[in-house]
Amino acid sequence: MDCASLNPMPEAEAFRRPPSQVMRLARMGCAHPTRLSFLRTLLRRVTREGWTFDRPVWDIDGTGVGRAVYRAAGPDRTYSLVAFAHDLPDGMRSDRVIATAWDATFTLFDGEPSAADLDRLEANVPLQEAGRISPRELSLSRANRSVRLFAHVVERLARGQQPDRAEVDAVGYLMRTTAVYGSGKFGAADRAAIADRPELSAPFQAEMLSVWLTRQFTVDIAEHLAAVRGGTAAARLDPAIRQALGVGNSTGLGMAPFLVRHPVLLNNWMVAREEALARVRAQQAADPDAVAGLRAAIADARENAMLWRSGHPVQVGKLGALRRDLSRLADHVAGWPAPGLRIPWDALWRWGESELSLEGQEALLALMLEPHGTLVDDLADCMTADEAATFRLDGAMTVATLSALLKEHCDWALSTDFDLPENAARFWYVSEEKLEPRLGNRFEEEGAALEQPLCIARLARDLHAALADWPAETPLATFLLAHPEHRLMARRAQILHSHPYAEVQDNLIAETMLPIDLMRCKLAFFGASRFDPRSDKWVRISLFQGLPYPADVSPGAWT
Amino acid sequence: MTTAQAPDSEPNDPTRSGPQWPAGSGARLSLNEIAQLCLKAARGAGMSWGLAEEAGFAAAWMAERGLDGPGALLTQLRDAVGRPWRDICPVVAPGAFRAGDRGGLCPIALGSALCDHARLPETAMDGAALQVGPVDHPVLLLAFLSDLARTRGGAVRLVWPRGAVLLTADGRVFGDADELARETRLDGALSLDDVAPEEQPAPRAPLYVPSETLSGLNAFALRTTVPASDASRAGAGATAGDND
Repeated sequence: MDCASLNPMPEAEAFRRPPSQVMRLARMGCAHPTRLSFLRTLLRRVTREGWTFDRPVWDIDGTGVGRAVYRAAGPDRTYSLVAFAHDLPDGMRSDRVIATAWDATFTLFDGEPSAADLDRLEANVPLQEAGRISPRELSLSRANRSVRLFAHVVERLARGQQPDRAEVDAVGYLMRTTAVYGSGKFGAADRAAIADRPELSAPFQAEMLSVWLTRQFTVDIAEHLAAVRGGTAAARLDPAIRQALGVGNSTGLGMAPFLVRHPVLLNNWMVAREEALARVRAQQAADPDAVAGLRAAIADARENAMLWRSGHPVQVGKLGALRRDLSRLADHVAGWPAPGLRIPWDALWRWGESELSLEGQEALLALMLEPHGTLVDDLADCMTADEAATFRLDGAMTVATLSALLKEHCDWALSTDFDLPENAARFWYVSEEKLEPRLGNRFEEEGAALEQPLCIARLARDLHAALADWPAETPLATFLLAHPEHRLMARRAQILHSHPYAEVQDNLIAETMLPIDLMRCKLAFFGASRFDPRSDKWVRISLFQGLPYPADVSPGAWT
Repeated sequence: MTTAQAPDSEPNDPTRSGPQWPAGSGARLSLNEIAQLCLKAARGAGMSWGLAEEAGFAAAWMAERGLDGPGALLTQLRDAVGRPWRDICPVVAPGAFRAGDRGGLCPIALGSALCDHARLPETAMDGAALQVGPVDHPVLLLAFLSDLARTRGGAVRLVWPRGAVLLTADGRVFGDADELARETRLDGALSLDDVAPEEQPAPRAPLYVPSETLSGLNAFALRTTVPASDASRAGAGATAGDND
């Protein structure tokens, strides 16, 4: 959907941040989850539509091995998370993609699986990449335990005690997913086959549903093992502790290119978020309820920032800045809005831009959206993308027009000198061994000739230079007959014409580029919190932490 | 590519982007898998990235309709290995997209050029048919002809000495598509039908991709990958263990 077509607030336009400000890696790498994040969209829908959840199959033995089915019934369709629980020796526990065994494996089934379906899935899902699933399945995923916390929780519950809160907060999850595949991977249903269902049309809804049901499973299996060990003396998890547990997630470099490979999708995510901020800023007055909502959200954010841990030097620095910024924000908002202050939300935003770090500014964005659901939640409907609609090039466009487009939208790239080693230090490639994206050092490693086309800045500059050799009125179709090597960038440049937030406006092969900035941006749109880089290329995060469980939405249906 | 697991020699990295299926067997692939595999294979066979995207699009479009796009693309890639771009891209003139004198056109290059010229006088087709070819493995043109129909309105007809097909703007295929799939090189004529037929073509069985096609495409796709080195392994992921 096109956000402009459902814009009820044309005056917001003037408050929108430009792509040159928003699409910078340093800022994208400070993104926070907002109420437009995909897991929040899912939770709003299931609550609004009265979905029901239950667990029709729980066939797990005393060693924690077996299978379970979690059913999510919406108004039109039912989906089932099929879970296989395994007994994994500690020595085999690895988050790496090359792992061959996991503590648990999952698939989201489209409907309610029969016994035959479960048998078919049991023969494939535990194998993950080495198995095949079918168009009846919407996702494929696996999870590993946090050994320390899982053992601690089971041990305490078995003795009828609650886990130590400090231990819970230090890890934050019982299990972490190490890959969640959707969109036709390994034989699953194609995105196109399900995109017209209202409940799945927003991005990553099947994956989010799968992870949310997985969160329920992580608690259920811990309580199950505690009950096996402790019998009637065993306790259930205290609801407050339970709510503090999210699902962990490990994510590697492979996720980083996604935003570059899906420019229209990236644009639509960004436009929706930026339009939401613009709408909030454009309001003439500050509703007292919204002000109270903002103050409450700031208090929650400060608490979350205290629990957020990371050992990565960059993130440690950002966390310190965030905590200081949130403290200053809380002080500032105590006296805001002053009586008679005009367009007060915009004044607050401008204060933030002048006083806060990038981390604090992007946190402020999320906080300002929080109390404005009725104003911004409709924007969640325009964060999807019909990529087929933008695939076909307009070959009648003249060389002069395309050149002007590049000048308008890629000016940031055209002046880069790629002969300087620091501007071309890296190259993206796919490793033969694992078929995964990697980032190499151009001047130290072999393989730059097999570079992936993620070096958008250089592609844009090269196209712009090549166009200069052609008469202005030459159609692009003619140019591309002579220059097939520029076809990819020509397509992207035309996409930029109607999707100005489609490109990251930084050099993705620069020496100083941090892949975790791309990952943080994408994960924030998912709704991830507690971003914790384990290196420049690999992160852990938490999903659904502090939010309800399926069992909270359908309390009566649970065993 | 087989499912054999490489030695457990790398630091942690939980993301895989490549396809995998049981060795020695075919599979029913999702359209996304077909598009990605064919894109990589086309790139591995020497196409530019932008044209390789067109190849992935064309093969998946065919597969969606039960036609063997992956198989046709594999044959085309094998036949075109080593042929320079100037030999396989069309020479474009009003009313004619012709090969030079060094063999048949690449159907991906021809199809892309036709779509690129859809709003230009070279593809006018007002009165006279548009002459194309000789083009190799012409069944790979189908997706492009459908896109051409969408840009121009109506339907696009391809006629050649042994048959004819009609492509509508909404992606329906009528006529001798199976005959077209058997053609290895042909000269054809394109024309516009103002009105598309209303009926639905007979449905085809979902495409099953045999193992020979998978392994052939995979062999080309692997040419886009870089062998692992100690440096690449070291940089792939976290340095800490996973038993937290």
